[in-house]
Order: sequence, then structure tokens, then C-alpha cells
Amino acid sequence: MDNIFAVILLATLRMATPLILTTTGAVFSVRAGVSEIGCEGMMIAGAFFGVLGSYLSGNAWVGVLAGVFFGMLFALLHGVLHVIFKVNQTISGMSVNLLAAAIAPLLIKLIWHTNSLTGNVASISSLEQSFLKEIPLIGGFLSQLNLFFYLAILFAVSGWFYIFKTKSGLRMRTVGENPLAASTLGINVIAYKLTGTAICGVLSGLGGVYLSLGQLSQYVDGMTAGRGYMAMVINTFGHYNPIGAIVGSLFFGFFDALQIIFQSSNIPSQFLMMLPYLVTLLVVVFGLKNTRQPAGVGKHHDA
Amino acid sequence: MALLEMRNICKRFNTVIALDKVDFNLDQGEVVSLLGENGAGKTTLMKVLYGMVKPDEGEICFSGNRVTIDKPSAAIKLGIYMVHQHFMLMPAMTVVENIIVGEETGKGILLDKKEALDRVQSLIEEYNFDIDANAKVAGLSVGQCQRVELLKALYREADILILDEPTAVLTPTEVEELFAAVRKLKIAGKSIVIITHKLKETMAIADRVCVLRNGCMVEEDILPEHTCAAELSRLMVGRLVDLEVRHPAQQIGSVVLSANDISINYGQGNCLKHITLNVRAGEILGIAGVEGNGQSLLLRTLTGLESGEFIHIKLDGVEMKCSPKVFLSSGIGHIPEDRTTMGIVGDMSIKDNLILGYHRQKSFSLYGLRRDREIKSNAIQLVGKNAIKTDSIDTPVKSLSGGNQQKVMLARTFSQPLRALIIAQPTRGVDVGAMEYIHNQILSLRDQGVAILLVSADLDEVCTLSDRIAVIYEGEIVRECLPGELSKVELGLYMTGSSGKSAEK
Amino acid sequence: MGTQFNKLKSNPMIRKTGFSCFALFLSLLCGAVIIGYSGYSPINIYKVIFVDTLSSKSGIMLALSQATPLMFTGMAFAIAYKVKIINLGEEGQLHCGAMAAAIVGAYIPNLPHLPHVFMALVAGAVAGGMIGLLTGVLKIHFGASEIITSLLLNSIIVYITSYLCNGPLKPLDSSSPQTPFINESARLTRLVPKTQLTTAILIAIAIAVLLHLLMSKLTLGYEMKAVGLNLNAANVHGISIARIYLFTMILSSAIAGLCGSTLVLGVNGRYVEDISLNYGFAGISVAALASYEPLAVPITAIIFGILKAGAFTVDRTTNIPVELVSVVQAFVVVFIAAPKLTEFILGIFNNIPGMKQKTGGC
Repeated sequence: MDNIFAVILLATLRMATPLILTTTGAVFSVRAGVSEIGCEGMMIAGAFFGVLGSYLSGNAWVGVLAGVFFGMLFALLHGVLHVIFKVNQTISGMSVNLLAAAIAPLLIKLIWHTNSLTGNVASISSLEQSFLKEIPLIGGFLSQLNLFFYLAILFAVSGWFYIFKTKSGLRMRTVGENPLAASTLGINVIAYKLTGTAICGVLSGLGGVYLSLGQLSQYVDGMTAGRGYMAMVINTFGHYNPIGAIVGSLFFGFFDALQIIFQSSNIPSQFLMMLPYLVTLLVVVFGLKNTRQPAGVGKHHDA
Repeated sequence: MALLEMRNICKRFNTVIALDKVDFNLDQGEVVSLLGENGAGKTTLMKVLYGMVKPDEGEICFSGNRVTIDKPSAAIKLGIYMVHQHFMLMPAMTVVENIIVGEETGKGILLDKKEALDRVQSLIEEYNFDIDANAKVAGLSVGQCQRVELLKALYREADILILDEPTAVLTPTEVEELFAAVRKLKIAGKSIVIITHKLKETMAIADRVCVLRNGCMVEEDILPEHTCAAELSRLMVGRLVDLEVRHPAQQIGSVVLSANDISINYGQGNCLKHITLNVRAGEILGIAGVEGNGQSLLLRTLTGLESGEFIHIKLDGVEMKCSPKVFLSSGIGHIPEDRTTMGIVGDMSIKDNLILGYHRQKSFSLYGLRRDREIKSNAIQLVGKNAIKTDSIDTPVKSLSGGNQQKVMLARTFSQPLRALIIAQPTRGVDVGAMEYIHNQILSLRDQGVAILLVSADLDEVCTLSDRIAVIYEGEIVRECLPGELSKVELGLYMTGSSGKSAEK
Repeated sequence: MGTQFNKLKSNPMIRKTGFSCFALFLSLLCGAVIIGYSGYSPINIYKVIFVDTLSSKSGIMLALSQATPLMFTGMAFAIAYKVKIINLGEEGQLHCGAMAAAIVGAYIPNLPHLPHVFMALVAGAVAGGMIGLLTGVLKIHFGASEIITSLLLNSIIVYITSYLCNGPLKPLDSSSPQTPFINESARLTRLVPKTQLTTAILIAIAIAVLLHLLMSKLTLGYEMKAVGLNLNAANVHGISIARIYLFTMILSSAIAGLCGSTLVLGVNGRYVEDISLNYGFAGISVAALASYEPLAVPITAIIFGILKAGAFTVDRTTNIPVELVSVVQAFVVVFIAAPKLTEFILGIFNNIPGMKQKTGGC
């Protein structure tokens, strides 16, 4: 399909995929009352260890599992430091970001002996050869999307279902709103906070894996490019709701996609690349007026 | 045999005896009022019952069987549910969600919202609570919030409900609505314990009254029809032996500080209604009242922390700009009610705390540079003069005892040339020796011509020190009088809203 | 003897130094794991890093010149943290300052040495300070979290400077992204010939002293301290929170901008895209290890400078990459949270029932 509309849409959906995943993770974290500032580090962990896993095993899906696992591990570092040792959540989150950002280049050098790129590894391709192609009219379009996109939508919808439609989700929301009240009702506040953080790690890790194994077949230093922080803003913008995360991610993904579309025009590439951040900044300053995060974020159940 | 028997309950917090061999019984279907002043031990006793506090001695029996209650969930299992004084609600969530979380309806992992709504709705109708089950708690009135807390208990099929100061923040109408609900609960066979210090409500709703004073059960099994508010007040407050000697003011001058018709409303009972106060030089105006009746807001207003079109505070007839900086530098001293959050910077040294608020004065700061020598000598002088127990003026103030921390706060303010002083809870958390010292300091300041406004929850303190007393109740000054004009019992009645609202000035 | 030790234990400065040493030790331990994994002996490698670096003149010079930018960024983070502001925008502030200094240095001709250097340095500080002003205003007037805004501004600024040095400001005869070389008159003097050490280190130490004086001798420093330790009490006692926040944010970002200036006016001589080797975020580790005391920052910066210089050597001669330093630095931030861990463990011991005296009956 050659028409410009399809091209833009495709690019938007592709750019939105990691954002949807990471933001849904962020939703879980904040709903459980823990700041999602560590998302960037979790994405880096996912992206890098995904490639490492794929490299060591020769199998892209093993890589995916590895990426998700390490995303969760880094998330738990943040969670344990903040929830159990009562460290200021910004500091514990930022330390995860710093650690991930430092370990990746180190291991790249140690293992691939190059500066900032890994070699190519087995990756997850788009679904061009799959049954989707057979679907009339939109089949050609749908099959150009990566499996991750469909996973992202699936996880977002499941996340929405869990948080708003299940008993456990109600308890998690209670923990995020008022951990003290939750504890008087017999809810295990620490377990829910750590679970929310861990899920954030899993999904953000998956978002990172998509960047390295889904879009390319390698890890490039700095490839997450602040998307984890963007996810924080999308999270607020979407009112801490996975469906809002999808909508917000599409919005921001669109601006992310513009740089690909206008690649060959006269606009300096830096301005195109800057656009998503500028839009994010404008949204932060002017667009988040009426959103309030869960009242118990950063609070503990015993103080 | 009583449904619930608590026998010989003892509890001690460090050196303070909170409960001293207390017995308490509860029958089915009765409403008992647990009466006492702040700190009498009534909340502690109920926290023991609810598993939040572990007693040092004593036992609890249910229908004759001894039970151990070591955490709230154990109490809930026995059918006891406590509605705390401060609501445990999630404002951003709906009434239904607040009620059911922890005991949700639905099969498996799914939340059955419809079933939850039905169950809550039927409870609302049964007790005539008039709440929209789908509304967000944030939009409810205080009285409605309280009913949500009651619904939490009813939803869990509690048989014994403990209500901790339930009417503390309710309007009279809401109090009536609460009583109607309580009566309905009684008919349904529930037993209710109401922890309160309010006599009027006790007389209106209780079947039986128990009075605690200083950790001891003074009287049990008082029937409201056999007593009166005055008698209960006497039991609560104690014998009126006037151990406190008064030192009346010798010379009262003109009005120094005046607040004219100040009304503020932040909702949920946090308000001031048409407050007009005048404090004269060399006079102590004491504001008596139970905590939570607008004192904090009043203090904020009189220290420049509340600003607004309709707030007019005058010093010597001149209107002041509402900012704490202006107030402090104009000679209005402030001793805040909460030492740790507002009065001192715990991690800062004693030396530095002793200039807080006055640190920009010429004596301590020249062209923006700290005058170390003067700050140090100021500290040494004040520490010595006020007998503040410390090894060095450089130790952080948080390592001092409560009484010494209070002394630091007072020394700081009292050493300044003051026109007026706004002082709140001056002897809270302070031992008897320091108390006398602090009182003497306040009196001597008054005799130097400072206009003093004293806010204290300790009625004895107010009566001893004040030259004029104003009682605040629900944000309003309901009575002004001279000390001795009314007995403490009568004042107590005004403090608890039992004497009508006519403001006889 | 026991009481003497207890007295030492309770001295706050000794406690903080002890915690910092412990955190550093744990971080180096984690680094040792990586070294071991790469097949080398951690003892040998650390010997090379610390001992060998310090025993040669070139090693010491390299360590000091690597430490210098860390001194600036460390102090910038530390001073902001004194009022409990977490300045994550140092990277962007640094680049902004660097670009400003590069422009002033290259495009203003015919100035004597000292004024030119001074102007270029100040230009960098002002440029950085303006970013801080923007961040502060967004926080105070729009309620925008300074954590997010400063992180976003990082990216935005770096894209702008990248555009400038790839496009309008790129000299016609150069093939890589950069600005023109600054005039000789704007260059910082080298302290030791043929090394990278310039007067920048003196500027850094001067700033450390000035910041220390600010906090200890100025009434403004007293107010900042109060705001950082008890916001509510400070407000009640007449200190303007907004004023303090704004001032501190501007000061912090100006120092970061100044760092950028010194990088351009020093060895580099022009702005290049990789002018900052992640100095901004490394500043967090430096500040944390120094317990956020401006005067201690040069010391911790030198420690990390030695680590970095040694790691360069190790990188050349072995398989171990210089990125080891970043990992150790990241662990430092993680472990500086360790004091809370240690306190927590100590707290458990104090609360075990049975360890307390029974208070007897009523």
C-alpha cells in the first residue's frame, strides 16, 4: 500500500508500540502507589538483555524472555529500595536508570568489543508471511505490523481489565490511593506495591525488547532515547488508565513518526527528532492541569 | 452474661499510665458512651479491643469465652469493627468501592459491580442513609463520609461497632442523622460503643455512660436519665480543687491586636465564622475549646499565614499585610501548636533554631552575612537563662527532650521585643516542672505589656492564665467571659456545644 | 574506651564519611565482580587503577582533569539537593553553557585575554542559569514537576545544539559537527604544559569554597538550609519558599552551564556533540558520595577522576572497558541509600521485645 495515509499510520503504530507497552507498565506502578520514574532504565534493560539473550541462545524468543526478566529485576531493585527501605522514590528510580544506562555499554564492550552497537542477532520480524495477509482489504496493512504491536494492545486491554474489573485490581488501586486505609482492611500493601512495580518492569522491558529485537536486530547505545520518561507523561495524560495509554501513545507516536516521514525534506533532522520531546513538554506544562495521581503515591502503609 | 467483657486492662506507654485496671462491659443491643477528656484513655481502651494496642495486663471475653485479639482482622472476625476518628477512605474512588474492597463480591477474580451495588444499596435503604452509592467519596459531606464508614462495618456484618469521636466534625443536623442511624442499628441488634467527650450527644443517644479519667474508670453504668450534663462534666474533669493560683493582670492597656469579622470556609468543618477578637496590652485572652473546632485556622489567620480579601488584622490600629514575615518583624510573636512540623527545624542546631524567624534582623544578619558571634552569644545566653538541658549549642534540636525543645521555641520568641504574642498549646508534652516555668514566663511577658492570645486544649491552663476567656466551638466564639465568672463545668458545656449557641459577649 | 567510640559514632561528619566509604567499598566490590567475570584479578586491576595512576605525573594530571567537570556537576547537584530539589537537567544545562561559551569565544574578536575568558565563562553560566530559571518558573507557576521538565529539556537542548554545530555554526572546512575554534584569547590557561589540566580546576575549587561560604556564612544559606530540612517550619517563620527554590535552581543550573564553558574553553577549544561524557548524571554519584556537601565534592570528584584515569589505562591494556567506571558510579548511588538500610537493621535490633526492660504492672 503506497498511499501516504497508510504510511503515516503504519509509522505511528510502530512508534507507538513501545510507548503503549511501557506506559501500561507505568500505569500498574502508579496505581500501586510507586513512582514510574524507573521506566527508562527498565526499557534499557529490556532492550539490551533481550539482544544479549538472543545472542547467547541464537533464539529471538529466548531473548525476549531475557529482556523481560531483566526489566523486572531492575524494577524490583527500585521497588525494594523504596517500599522496604523507604528510600525516596525519585532516587531509587533514578539509580535504576543510571545502573541500566551504565551496564549496557559496559557489557557491549566486554562481549562484542565494540563501542556502542552490538552485532546483529536473531530478531522478531513483522508478520508479513503470516495468515494476516489473507484478510481482505486491510490484510496487507495488518501484516506489516510486528507481533509486538498486537501484544501491546493485548496487554493494555488486559491491564485495563485487571485494574478496573477484578477484585485484585480494586485492591491494588486502594493501595495506591490510601495505603494506610488499605492496611486497616487487611490488604498486604507491600505485596501489591512490589507486584505493581514488577509488572511495570516486565512491560517496560518488553517495550525495550521491541526497540532492539522488534524494530532492528541489535542494540544501539541510547536507543531508548528518553521514551521511558515520555511514558511517564503519557501515563498522566491518559489518566493512569491503559486505554488512555493507548490513545496517548498513538498521539505521541505520531510525532515520533514524523521524523521518518519528513526524513528527506528540508527540515533539519534535529528539529524533527526534537518534536516529540517538545510536544511532551508542552503537554506537561499546559495539558496536565486536571489530572491527579493516586493520592497514596510514595506513601507507606505505616506512616 | 454480657456479650463483651474487658477485665483489668492495664496499659503503659513508657512512663505514662494510659489504662489502670479498667473494666468494661457491653451487652447486646445497647449503646454505651465512653466519656472522658482528651488523654483520658478511652481511645486506647478501644484500640485494645480492636487489636491495635496490646495491653500489658487484662483479658477480653466474648460471650464468656476468653479471646485474644492481636490485630484488627482478628477483631473483624469476631464481629467487631472500629470507625476511626480520621476517615480511612479513598476520595478518588466511589462509595461502593470504598465499602467492598477487602471483601469483594463476585465469582473468582472478577469483580461483580452489580452485586456489590445491590448489596450496598439495600444497606443504604435499610438504614435510610441517603447516599448515592455510585458517587465518588471526594464529593461527599463529612456526615456522608461517616455513614460510608458505618456502611463498611455493616457490610462486614459487624455486631459491635466502635465509633471514635463520631460527632467531632459533624453539624447538628448531621449529628441527628447519625443518631437516627445508631438507633436503627440498635433495633437490628447491634451493640455500639461511642467514644466521645461531648455531653449533649451522650445524653441524647446513650443507654449507658462510662466515664474515664486519667486512665481509670471513674464510673460505669450511669444511666442518662439518672444524671445530668453538669454531673458528667464534674466526673470527667475531676474535683474542682483550685490548686492553681491566679495572677490577675495589674494594668491592661489599649487594644493592640484586633481581628474583625473574619470568616473562612475550607469545607468539611474547617472554618471560622465571624470571628472578632481584640487583645489588649498586658492582657491574656485565652481561647478555650476542644481541639478541632477551628483553632488551627484561627492561629494561621492571626500569624499571617492566611491571606485573602476579607481577612483584616490590625496591629495598633494599622492594618497588616498578611505574611508571616511581616507579622514576625512587626513584633507579633508566634509559638506554633505543633512543635515538630512548624516550630523547630529538627536537624538544625539549637543555636540556629534560636534565631529562626528573626534571622534577618540587624542583630543577626548584616548585609546578608550571618553574624556568627552574635548568634552564638545569643544562644549561650538563652540556653543559660532558660535552663535548656544540652551539652552544646551546636547539637541538633531534635536530640533534645520534648520539654527542652519547647523551651527553645519559647526562648526564641520571648527574647524578642514583642507587641503581641500568639501562643498555642504551650505546655503540650511537657512535664510539670517545665510547665510552671513556662507559665511564669508567659505571665511576666504579659506584665511587661505584651498582648497575649493563648490557645490551649487544657482548660485548667486557660483558666489559670487568662484575664479573659473566649470559648470557640465549631469555628465560632460562642461565649466570652471573665475567669471565675463561669465554673469549669459550665465552660466545659460551652466547649462541647451543650449550652446553646447564643454568643453572650 | 567504649564511650569514646560511641562519641565518635555519633559525630555526624564521621558517620557520613563512614557511610560514604562503605558505599564506595560496596560499589568497588560490584566492579570487582565484573572484573573477575572478564577473567582478570580484581586486586591487580584496582592496583593499576589507583596505585599506578597516582604514581605517574601524567596519571595524576589525567585524574585531575577528568575530575574537574565532575566537580562542577557534583556541586550543582549537591547545592540543589540542599533544598531538596533534584536537578536532573544538568546534561542539558551543560550543553547550553558550552554552546554559549563556544559562541562568545569564537565570534567575539579582538578582546584581551582575561575579559574574553571571563565573558565566555559568564556566558555559559548565564545560559545554564536561564534553563534553571525556566525549570523553576514552570514548577512554581504551572505546577510542572521539575523532574520531568528538566529531563525533557535535556533532550530538547541537545538537539538544538546538535543542529547548530551540524549546520549554521559549522565551519566550512570541517567535516565533523562542531563550532569554530575559539580565539586564543578565550582559552583557559593550562596549569601544567602538555597536559589537559587548565585553570578550570581552580575555578571549580573556588566555587566549592564560595558555595560553602554561602551555606555557612550567608543568611540566605541559612534560609536554604531551613527550607531543605523543614519546609513547613521555614514557611511559618517567614521564609519565602518560592524565592529560595528559584534562586537555588538558577544557581545549580548556572554551575552546570559553567561546567560546559570550561569544557569548551579548555582543551576542546570548540563545541562538539560529545563534549560531555555523561558528566551531568555522573554528578549525581559525585554529590551522593560527598553527602551533598559542596566542600567535599572536589574530593569525591578526584576519587572518581582517579578511577576514570585508571580505567582508561586498563581499557587500553586489557579487555576491561572504561565503562566500568559508570557502573561503579551507578552502584554508588544505589548504595548511598545503604545508610537507610543499615539504620533500618539497627532499628530492628532496638525493637526486639525482650531486649527492652519490662516496665512492670500498673
